[in-house]
Amino acid sequence: MKNYQRVTFHTIRLILAAVFIYASIDKIINPEGFAKAIFNHQVLPDSLINVTAIVLPWLELFIGGCLLLNVWTPGAALLTAGLMTVFMAVVSFNLARGLDVACGCFSTTDAKGMDMMTFLRDCLFLVLSWGLVAATFKKSSRIIPSQQASIKPAG
Amino acid sequence: MSDSHPTAPIARVPALLRQVIYILVLSALVGFMVNTFRPGGGIPLIGDFSEDARFTDGTGESMVITLHDATRAWQENRVLFLDARSPDLFAQGHIKGAKNLPWQDVDNYFMEIIDGLASDALIISYCDGETCELSHDLSLFLKDMGFPNAKVLVNGWTVWQEQGLPVEGS
Repeated sequence: MKNYQRVTFHTIRLILAAVFIYASIDKIINPEGFAKAIFNHQVLPDSLINVTAIVLPWLELFIGGCLLLNVWTPGAALLTAGLMTVFMAVVSFNLARGLDVACGCFSTTDAKGMDMMTFLRDCLFLVLSWGLVAATFKKSSRIIPSQQASIKPAG
Repeated sequence: MSDSHPTAPIARVPALLRQVIYILVLSALVGFMVNTFRPGGGIPLIGDFSEDARFTDGTGESMVITLHDATRAWQENRVLFLDARSPDLFAQGHIKGAKNLPWQDVDNYFMEIIDGLASDALIISYCDGETCELSHDLSLFLKDMGFPNAKVLVNGWTVWQEQGLPVEGS
């Protein structure tokens, strides 16, 4: 990995870490409000809403923590991209059908409905997250020294 | 580490999957544990999202009024309908006789709207959409301001029109 690629990789990693950690905090503090926000999106059956409200904020926090500490980064990057894809699909679906609901992305008490800014913001995070996955795969596709030694021809 | 001998990304997949599973399992475990031991109690694993459960007052009592009861009160001329949506949407169309008290600007409109209104009057707030919270917020506010008979007609504008009941507006 070249120097500028390394800097870009770590910058994106830290940006997404900050975004996911920040996004998790209010949801962890107020799971009831987050459950209501999920319900308002009308994409999950009622029976799955509270379980999602209990687990998802912690998933965001762990993903953010892994990215911040550069631990399990490939797995965290893939989960980041997966979650952003799901969030993007939900935002697009609800904007397309004209459902006027608050995003609940960063705050459970936000009364403002989603708009094109929500869409564009999520687009940016989606691109960054898949970019991080690509960079992580590229980085981890390089052979490690022990493997290199084991495939050297004998003699 | 060598930059000259790339291996296929698939070679890393088992480790990648392990990491994904570790993060998912840890999140679920911590999430459920924190919810179980949260001071004041966590949320139930399966929530009640019925209208009566969602649109409650501070004591947990439902504030929902049925369309049937709302229509009868309107026919008997013993109700004030409050449209909690924006003035623009109100101007486009609203329940006949309703007044506009947009929730997001409630402080500016409130005194004018409640002027001369008896404290025991039946007041039905409505907005539009199953998940619209404006009418609920407005009704909670009205209860706090001393109007105990503040009710919510859920998805009011849509259900009122669907029944072909009288409306007015441009």
